[in-house]
Amino acid sequence: MVSADPILHFFTIIESQGGVIVKESPKLDLDLYIANYQGRTRFDRLLLIGRSSVPLCVDALKAAIAEAKGGKDVQQYRDAWECIRIAAPTESESQWDSAWVEKTDKANKLETARLEAELKQYKNNLVKESIRIGLRDLGEHLEQIGDLAAASDAYLRMRPEASTQAHIVGVAKHIIGIVLQRRDWPSVLANVSKMLTGGMSDEEQKAHQPFQKLVAGIANLHSDKFYEAAKNFLEVGDPSICQGCNDVVSSNDVATYGGLLALASMDRSELQSRVLDNSSFRNYLELEPHIRKAVSMFVNGRYSACLDILESYRADYLLDIHLQPHVRAIFSAIRNKCIVQYFIPFSCVTLDSMNKSFAKPGESLESELMTMIRSGVLKARINTIDKLLVAVSTNDRVEMQTKGLETANNYEREALERIRRMNIAAADLEVKGPRKGVGNAMSGISGGETWFDDTRRQLSQAESSVG
Amino acid sequence: MDQALATCLAFPPEGALNDDVAYDQAIQAHLLKLTKLLKEPPVPLAQYGGQLLELTDPEYNSLSYIAILHSLVLPNVLGPREFILDKLVKFLLGFDPRQIRYAGSHLLEILFAVYNGLLPPSVAVEVISAAILKIDPTGSMFTSTHIQLVKLAYNTNNIEPAMKVVEKNIVFYPGMANWKRPTTLCDMTLSPSVYIHRETGLTGNVKAAIVLEYDMLSGMMFCSKREWNKAHATFERIVAFPTREGGCSKIMAEVYKKWVLVSLLSKGKAIPLPSYTGPAAAKAYQTLGKAYKDVASLFDTTNAEELRSEVEKSSQIWQDDQNVGLVKEVLSAYQEWQIKNLQNVFSKISITEIRQQTKSAQTGTNLNSDDEIEALIQNMIISGSLKGVMEKNDDGTVFLTFLPASTVLSEAEYAQELTKTAIQLKALEPIFKATNERLGASREYIKHLIKEQKRAADKSELDPTMGFESHVDDEDLMGGVTSTA
Repeated sequence: MVSADPILHFFTIIESQGGVIVKESPKLDLDLYIANYQGRTRFDRLLLIGRSSVPLCVDALKAAIAEAKGGKDVQQYRDAWECIRIAAPTESESQWDSAWVEKTDKANKLETARLEAELKQYKNNLVKESIRIGLRDLGEHLEQIGDLAAASDAYLRMRPEASTQAHIVGVAKHIIGIVLQRRDWPSVLANVSKMLTGGMSDEEQKAHQPFQKLVAGIANLHSDKFYEAAKNFLEVGDPSICQGCNDVVSSNDVATYGGLLALASMDRSELQSRVLDNSSFRNYLELEPHIRKAVSMFVNGRYSACLDILESYRADYLLDIHLQPHVRAIFSAIRNKCIVQYFIPFSCVTLDSMNKSFAKPGESLESELMTMIRSGVLKARINTIDKLLVAVSTNDRVEMQTKGLETANNYEREALERIRRMNIAAADLEVKGPRKGVGNAMSGISGGETWFDDTRRQLSQAESSVG
Repeated sequence: MDQALATCLAFPPEGALNDDVAYDQAIQAHLLKLTKLLKEPPVPLAQYGGQLLELTDPEYNSLSYIAILHSLVLPNVLGPREFILDKLVKFLLGFDPRQIRYAGSHLLEILFAVYNGLLPPSVAVEVISAAILKIDPTGSMFTSTHIQLVKLAYNTNNIEPAMKVVEKNIVFYPGMANWKRPTTLCDMTLSPSVYIHRETGLTGNVKAAIVLEYDMLSGMMFCSKREWNKAHATFERIVAFPTREGGCSKIMAEVYKKWVLVSLLSKGKAIPLPSYTGPAAAKAYQTLGKAYKDVASLFDTTNAEELRSEVEKSSQIWQDDQNVGLVKEVLSAYQEWQIKNLQNVFSKISITEIRQQTKSAQTGTNLNSDDEIEALIQNMIISGSLKGVMEKNDDGTVFLTFLPASTVLSEAEYAQELTKTAIQLKALEPIFKATNERLGASREYIKHLIKEQKRAADKSELDPTMGFESHVDDEDLMGGVTSTA
């Protein structure tokens, strides 16, 4: 094991940078996995796996180098090389290929200059369509060489030149492609909604739907809006069109993202109707049968089995470019939901049986239950003496009575306070600020008015809560 | 002497004056006679004043009594001091509030002298609070005597006798607009806001700062009695005191700091400012009360160590603001609140586990022994702040069972509770009526009313052109178009 040490060293560096490290072997096969994708995302994914997965590190980095060299982006090559240089100094890929870099650099500059010159010429000719094409070519080229800022600039300039609906959609797609790579999630959502506007025929709508839903889902996922993201993924639609979006995600990813997020955010009946009975999403689920199994386990109330399945795939999820930062949150959401659902039919469960279903062997669930109860997810109380989890029985009668009395008391207090304030104002006893002329006096008056409005609102709320 | 005595005893006359007007006339005439008597006494009053006091009844001849008393104690006590002061106390505890309305300024001067040391503080507080409640049994009107009372009570630590005044809800303030001298001052149905006025002499001038100071001192009195809920409500009145033109006074800012600490003690967590807090004041609080906010935000976390260090970090601030005592209270209350919060998670829990899960903010660590925790919980249960019982298991573990906060009331009990609140609400009626009358009769309101009426009249004239019918026509037209299309 000569290479063990440099890899250890490499991952120590990654850890110190706060990166995620996956020691377990994932179930995926690197070559098959990456064959699902096209475009720049291939490199990003390879690099991520190289930087995260201990068993796949060297293979992934080597593939990343090859991928980078196949393209025109020098920066990508540099990034991958920086990694492999530390992780596997003995491999032939760890030698800096300066000849290729220089050659590519030079070719890139030439190409940029050529395209810019062409564009200039088009502009002189004032033909809208060719300007658009020129800008598009320039943008695509800049994207390929990794100059994302300039590329998005070029794409943005296409917008005024767009003359048909298809053009506008094309521009939006290009821009979304860029902002996705720059991980600017709010702009992704903004551009998706831009894509939606305009009178598109049903057919067009259908053709664009997968892309729209995909990117919106990804953006929502990264904004921690799991429920919205799940809905997006579940509505992706036609798998054959979705296949064409594999420069962003593959159909397998759609199944994984959609299923996981739905598990994390939906209740049982919703899972049944929206996931399992969803005919278009079924096509995706067939690609990832374990997700389907997990969902149906959950729906059937076999929570620990569901969690076991997901747990066994954890390494895979951690190596996904979009899921990686959210795995922990998604898993804990699913776990919490399992515990809550498990507990619903009971008024009282022994902690032992809870531990048996959910806790890792030898560990106790208690502290997790405590956090869940504290945060209000689980409505129960722990009895540590008899080792029970007891449901909170709400007594509506008591609640009504306390509420009624409380409202009456609040009414009295508020009435007194309001009369008091009126009288203070009448006696001219308010605390006054330094006088600063008419404008200020006006604002003082309006302040008084807002106060009256405010209390009135409070009062009416209190009344309505009684009724 | 006999003549003077006859004058003094002449009011109230034998037989009832059952009419307010007659009473008013009689008392006015009596007042004139008294003034004359005191202005040109046949013999200097000092010689026989004592006798007069002996022979008149402070409860029955209150008006004459105060006239003599006033000349005997002010500016200096004339005659045997102890005897006169004894009479003074008797009078202040028992005067007739109806007659005294005609001698407001005399009473005020006497009370001021009492405040300034005529009587020893412990007696002074007692008689001043008695006098305040004699004049206004509802205690709903603020007077200049109130501030003297709380200052004296707080500074000399004679809090208890002042509590009966401090606990009243004050809603009226002297100097309110639209005051009119009542025709018959002796009318016992008058609202205190009518007969207590600078003109009747029952109160002096009052400024905003005085009102604030009164509330602040009463809040601090509640604090010293550890009645945190009442203290919190009182401080909140100051924090949200009505302001104008971006005003915020120093007292408000100081009290805000106390309010934050007391809200931790009474509610266990930081409370947002009331929505009607002055915007400028709210802004000032944010910067001035930062250290307090920081402590408050740590109070309902489980991080005792951090809370402790935060408190230590700002110890200079607590000292400067004279809040060391309250901060200490906060620290010692921390663990109690931790234990109370456990009932949101546990239904039964052993004492040992409580000890492991809660920390004392005074030391930043867990308590040393289960016995300490047990004692603490025992105290909390006894004081009523925690509802629960401690029991012992067969194997010797002591554990705490939390009981539900409120038990089901039977229908009858509930009805009783509701009637109680209804009565409280009914009690608001006179206050409401007085305010309503005062506001309803104000010039601004009447002007506004006339304007509204005019506008309503204008509107009805406009109606035919912008009327309902034309609108319907319009819609019919549209309906026709759609149906033919």
